[in-house]
Amino acid sequence: MNPKALTRAAAVTIAWIAVATIYSELSSSFKELLASIGGHHWIGKSVLSLVVFGMLYGAFAMFGNDRFSLRDTWWLIATVVLSGLSIVIFYVLHFSLSL
Amino acid sequence: MVNPLIFVHAILAEIGLFAFLWVLVELLNPTGARIERAKIAAVIGAVCLLTAWLAGGFYYVEVYGSFIKPVIKASEAKWVHSIVMEVKEHVFLFLPILALLIVALLHKFDQEIIKNKDARVSIILLAGLVFLLGFSIAGMGAIISSGYRFALESGLT
Repeated sequence: MNPKALTRAAAVTIAWIAVATIYSELSSSFKELLASIGGHHWIGKSVLSLVVFGMLYGAFAMFGNDRFSLRDTWWLIATVVLSGLSIVIFYVLHFSLSL
Repeated sequence: MVNPLIFVHAILAEIGLFAFLWVLVELLNPTGARIERAKIAAVIGAVCLLTAWLAGGFYYVEVYGSFIKPVIKASEAKWVHSIVMEVKEHVFLFLPILALLIVALLHKFDQEIIKNKDARVSIILLAGLVFLLGFSIAGMGAIISSGYRFALESGLT
């Protein structure tokens, strides 16, 4: 198991969840595509997040090195904070502009 | 009456979050036995969060969308769904990924955690992040419950 690849895969997957969440609100065709996976867009995002995590791990493990460092963790934490804030700001704006 | 699924979702999620607090505490000054306990706690935490994901997801898709959401959206507190629930359901997706990562890191580094400061600090930071993020999400759940009660009391059912 390659801990660096796993940490990087987690960071990119979380960023992907934020991007997919925002984009699905802006594009009805993307939302329908997600819904086609499990009957609801949230199920589609849930399933795809695990698939993306697994695929990214495979890619990072294949092409990257395995020298794990605290720096990788800080990147992951920064990604979690920025992705979470992006989702919050998006829904606040989305709601405010729809009033 | 409260739907039992929401009870299962909330209880499992909170047990899972405290399991990751347990991981954090065990690794503050790690020994061989503490690392073994941390591995058990992380597996308990991950299993609880994954099960809470399934229970909460089933409730969200089958019950919330049909019965709770329309009531909240028809009230003055529609922001509770449009902002709080939307944020909660999507930020929650970060937790299983982080939980699985912590389990994997603990099993990968195992007893090496005693000497490998980067691995130890990383797992402590991530366990703390899961705990804080998880309880922020639990707080959102409380706001959603309050929003639903407010909507019911407003007589808009």
